[in-house]
Amino acid sequence: MRDLKVESVEMVYDVKGGDDVHALSDVSFDLNGGRLLTLLGPSGCGKTTLLNIIAGFLAPTSGSVSLGGEPITAPGQERGMVFQQGALFEWLSVTENISFGPRMNRKKKADYGTRVDELLDIVGLSGFGDKKIYELSGGMQQRVALARCLANDPDLILMDEPLGALDALTREKMQSLILELWKNTGKTIILVTHSVEEALYLGDKVFVMAPRPGRIDRVYELPFAEIGLTTEPREVKASPEFVSTREEVLSLIWEMEEQIMGGTG
Amino acid sequence: MASSNLPPRADNLGPTGFSGISRLFSGVSGPGGSDRKTVTFGDSSAVRSNTFASIVSLMLLLGLWFGSTTAWGLSQDFVDEANLAEADKGENDLTDAELVTRCNADPDCKGSYTRWVKPTQFPSIPDTLGAFVELNDEGFRNVTLGSHTRTSLWRVARGMFWGTLVGVPIGAAMGLSSLLRGFFDTPVEIFRPIPPLALIPLAIAFFGLGDDAAVPLLVFASIWIMIIAARSGAQAVSLSKVRAAYSLGASKRQVLTRVILPNALPDLFTGVRVALGVSWGTLVAAELVGASEGLGSMIFAARQFFRTDVMVVGIVTIAVLGVLMDVILRFLESKLIPWRGKG
Repeated sequence: MRDLKVESVEMVYDVKGGDDVHALSDVSFDLNGGRLLTLLGPSGCGKTTLLNIIAGFLAPTSGSVSLGGEPITAPGQERGMVFQQGALFEWLSVTENISFGPRMNRKKKADYGTRVDELLDIVGLSGFGDKKIYELSGGMQQRVALARCLANDPDLILMDEPLGALDALTREKMQSLILELWKNTGKTIILVTHSVEEALYLGDKVFVMAPRPGRIDRVYELPFAEIGLTTEPREVKASPEFVSTREEVLSLIWEMEEQIMGGTG
Repeated sequence: MASSNLPPRADNLGPTGFSGISRLFSGVSGPGGSDRKTVTFGDSSAVRSNTFASIVSLMLLLGLWFGSTTAWGLSQDFVDEANLAEADKGENDLTDAELVTRCNADPDCKGSYTRWVKPTQFPSIPDTLGAFVELNDEGFRNVTLGSHTRTSLWRVARGMFWGTLVGVPIGAAMGLSSLLRGFFDTPVEIFRPIPPLALIPLAIAFFGLGDDAAVPLLVFASIWIMIIAARSGAQAVSLSKVRAAYSLGASKRQVLTRVILPNALPDLFTGVRVALGVSWGTLVAAELVGASEGLGSMIFAARQFFRTDVMVVGIVTIAVLGVLMDVILRFLESKLIPWRGKG
């Protein structure tokens, strides 16, 4: 997997009749291939903006982003994307959604057919290939979104709050699935989330971001994702190390929220 | 919940306490979850169309028609003949009572008789059925009902075809490009509010009578609706779908044909349904004044001969076809876009 390089990225939104919004200020980092990075922070810290810049949906005001030395200027299939919800194609079946990428590249069915079946198996949807999207639950829909993204075999998988719309139980199951995928495929993953617990559990690297201007406030290198591969999720999340880190990050974010409130109120 | 295991108590039954017809009237469904609701007035999900009440209202309408015209088929012919026979004697306006007497004496004309509404005002049910048979066999002024209907439907089909063929690309372009949005905004906003009916005289003056005027008028009736439908359809696609498609390697063209177009199908379908309804109404009005064939012209021609029965046959045909089109479109919709309103 290729390395990602983000160099002094700035993002400023012009607001008509108001102050410019400094969404990202001097964001720089290197991410080695095969890492699982989670982006965490209060709303307005620019974590989704950063993800969209890496995906190539937004061009930064200044600075540069490159994957394996190649500058990122537009969306590309070496960077797969998983959205919160509503990004699946309702008029297609599960199989047709998953094979969308290969089909857009004019690959023949003989080339991707077995791969699609494999992917269905990997995300736990064997036998659901002919179902329509609206016949699936929210959790199953996100499984399809993961499989669809994997079908193009991207280097980097970007996830924008992929589990945000799911209920708590489904969410835990999906977290395990993401860890499994990460281990089995060796892909680089960047995941944006609102949930502190999720960020710490999934991220072997965590950026806690701060707003106004949006920036990386603190970087954590955590063992929980590795542990989670072999240990029960509840056990990991109940361990003293996990709980103390969680409380530390939570109080950090609370502080930021307080400052925002103080600034506006 | 422990209470759910208890047998239902009489004071718990609520609306199910009714039985028989009153139960049908109250719109209460059989035993089930909804019966356990204590609040039903104001609960919109508890209000469904009651089949029994629908049948009652249909019977009432037919009964009103039957009772207010001719009860047992005292036909227009009989009234005419009776009046003609008396005309020689200088007495051509028989009273109702006299007509009833004659009717009872005539083996072909038996039964009770009401004449609150004259046949020249509104036809009786037997007369209307007779006119229906006559229109099918001989036709009205040598053109059968089927032929009138085909003429009308073919006009609507052509108008809808061209309106859709031209309107959808324009609407899609307006939804996808600022330049084309700006270019087409002006004509669309100017022409869209004009009721097509207001253009009938101008259309006849410009194109002439018959198909020449009717079809362009129907294109005008449908094109703005299809443009607006295609525009909102093209804009209905969520940003995440488009971004997902690009990330999966789709080209601009593939995003258009594989994502934006299928995603716009529900809006296009709504457009077709609305446009078809408007076209159908516009067509009948256009035929009233500007055509020698078609259901509208048949109704209008019947007026000159006081053939209210022919008019009613035409009106019912128009109504039935309108309902039929909607049923067919709704069926197609459920087959073609089953995801609508789900997820």
